[in-house]
Amino acid sequence: MSPQRKNGRGAQHDAGPRAAVLHEERHGAFETKLMRINVGPVHPATHGVLRLVIDLDGEQIVNLSPRIGYLHTGFEKTMENRTWQQVVTYTNRMDYAHSLGHDLAYVLAAEKLVDARVPERAQRIRVLLTELNRIASHLIGLGTGLLDMGALTPFFYTMRERERVLDILELVTGVRMNYGYFRVGGLYQDLPEGFEELVKSFIDDFPAALDQYMKLFLKNDIWVNRTKGVGVISRQTALDVGLTGPSARASGVNLDFRKAAPYSGYEDYDFDVPVSEEGDAYQRFVVRATEMEQSLRIVQQALYKLEPGPIKDPDRRISLPPREELETSMEAVIFHFKLVTEGFHPPKGEVYVPTESARGELGYYLVSDGGSMPYRVKVRTPSLANVQAIAPASIGGPFADMIVNIATMDPVMGDVDK
Amino acid sequence: MDPFVSGQRLADRMADALAELGGERSERFDQTYVTLAGERIQEAVRRCRDAGFEQLSDVMAIDWLEYPGHQGPRFTVVYNLYSLSDASRLMLRVNVDLDESVPSITPQWPAAGFFEREVYDLFGIEFRGHPDLRKLVTPDDLEGHPLRKDFPLGETPTLFGDGRFLDPATFRAGLMGRDPGRTGWTGGARKGVRSEQGRVDDDGSEA
Repeated sequence: MSPQRKNGRGAQHDAGPRAAVLHEERHGAFETKLMRINVGPVHPATHGVLRLVIDLDGEQIVNLSPRIGYLHTGFEKTMENRTWQQVVTYTNRMDYAHSLGHDLAYVLAAEKLVDARVPERAQRIRVLLTELNRIASHLIGLGTGLLDMGALTPFFYTMRERERVLDILELVTGVRMNYGYFRVGGLYQDLPEGFEELVKSFIDDFPAALDQYMKLFLKNDIWVNRTKGVGVISRQTALDVGLTGPSARASGVNLDFRKAAPYSGYEDYDFDVPVSEEGDAYQRFVVRATEMEQSLRIVQQALYKLEPGPIKDPDRRISLPPREELETSMEAVIFHFKLVTEGFHPPKGEVYVPTESARGELGYYLVSDGGSMPYRVKVRTPSLANVQAIAPASIGGPFADMIVNIATMDPVMGDVDK
Repeated sequence: MDPFVSGQRLADRMADALAELGGERSERFDQTYVTLAGERIQEAVRRCRDAGFEQLSDVMAIDWLEYPGHQGPRFTVVYNLYSLSDASRLMLRVNVDLDESVPSITPQWPAAGFFEREVYDLFGIEFRGHPDLRKLVTPDDLEGHPLRKDFPLGETPTLFGDGRFLDPATFRAGLMGRDPGRTGWTGGARKGVRSEQGRVDDDGSEA
């Protein structure tokens, strides 16, 4: 690696004057021409439909501007025209890799608004499934990330483990994607039979799989050389562009809302938050891999602490009455009818609850006008801010490193565009 | 007592300190808000950042058009600030009326770049001094700002900027394969003008 290449990495995000300096360094007094190229929106290595307009000076990127919106579906507007309970159908369709994270973020905010008391068991199940989903999400990130760099095999290894997580989630929720399993006030239904055995066997087998990943690629010389020192983001730049989640923690931003503002009883679990100071592509991957270990610890503890009990807030204002009561109680029928046809009415107000999704700070800002539908839903999605970090990480480096940066930033375009 | 010596949370101290800039403090659901005049937002954000709010989580807007009993300016822009060291959150609010603009904080804080563009795109609130104020998520040919409360929902006849008119009947017919043109593209015809697919009347129905 030439020293010149190294100099260019982790450059400032204000491209203007820096670009001129880089150009000068590289070419001296020669007259050269910048080339503007377009990458995406349909491109195998842009993680979906991300489009980048890049100014290239030979191999070197001097300017990069992300264009987004190709997956914009107006979720926020749609949610404003659905009842509070129906919104759960839409939340999980944004970040399709970590759906339960979105569901959890929404129900937490809505529950704060209606002051719901979620039973212990429901909270444990929520944490357990969300962490399993986080593992699945990181596995996609790892597998496709390496795929983007040209390593085909790891994808099959990570998909193998992800398949087992999806089997568990399918058993519980009935679907393999867009789960919609959480409800405001609790869960849709209780865990099915055979759940514990499946999770236990996954807990037993997954550490060996992680170990295999470490041997196969995370400690693989070729891969380490490809990613070490690439796309460095300093702590200050991370804070400047609003980067959160594992990518920010790889840059030394020690922020995890499971620790900083515990929700759903995360304060009862014993886990560490991996943080690294280096901020390069290698660390972004390693932080994710280490996070999977920690998520597994949480899953283990949640399963251990799982005790029989109710899974819904007994408050009839927000939860449907149990099926058997409908046959004997007139009141139950009335509540059922009101909830199904109209939904509940939270008091007027505004709430914001931050949570930690697999990609960073995820929070729903809800405004209620006292009606049965949210007046305004604003989703603070982590990927939107994270996409802003691609430019400062890539400017000054070669074109091929830009692909590495996108891969390690792991944005989900549904989460970016909403 | 000096508020900066007491054991108050950073958000509390900052909310009190911003009274100097004319900030009005309010609390909703354990969250501290400070409402400011638009002209003061850059200074307020600068002070908050210096005081230890290192993260700009979000910039968002609310349209109060249909909010029961609402009086005053139509929009509110909310700046969501977070302090890592103190683990506390402060939200700054600026009330904006239909034809007003807000000074942009992007030059001092790049994180606001996409957030402000999103608000500009979906609400039509202009941010003065934004280095690159373009639409962010909606197509270039879409007129209007979808998250405004008076923007029609889907299934509503829509006239695009280039004259493309999309009415629900044609759109659905296209989807079901009964008519060519999946999205109701009627060959550049304006509403009420004859096109190769037939005349579209003023009420949106096909003749």
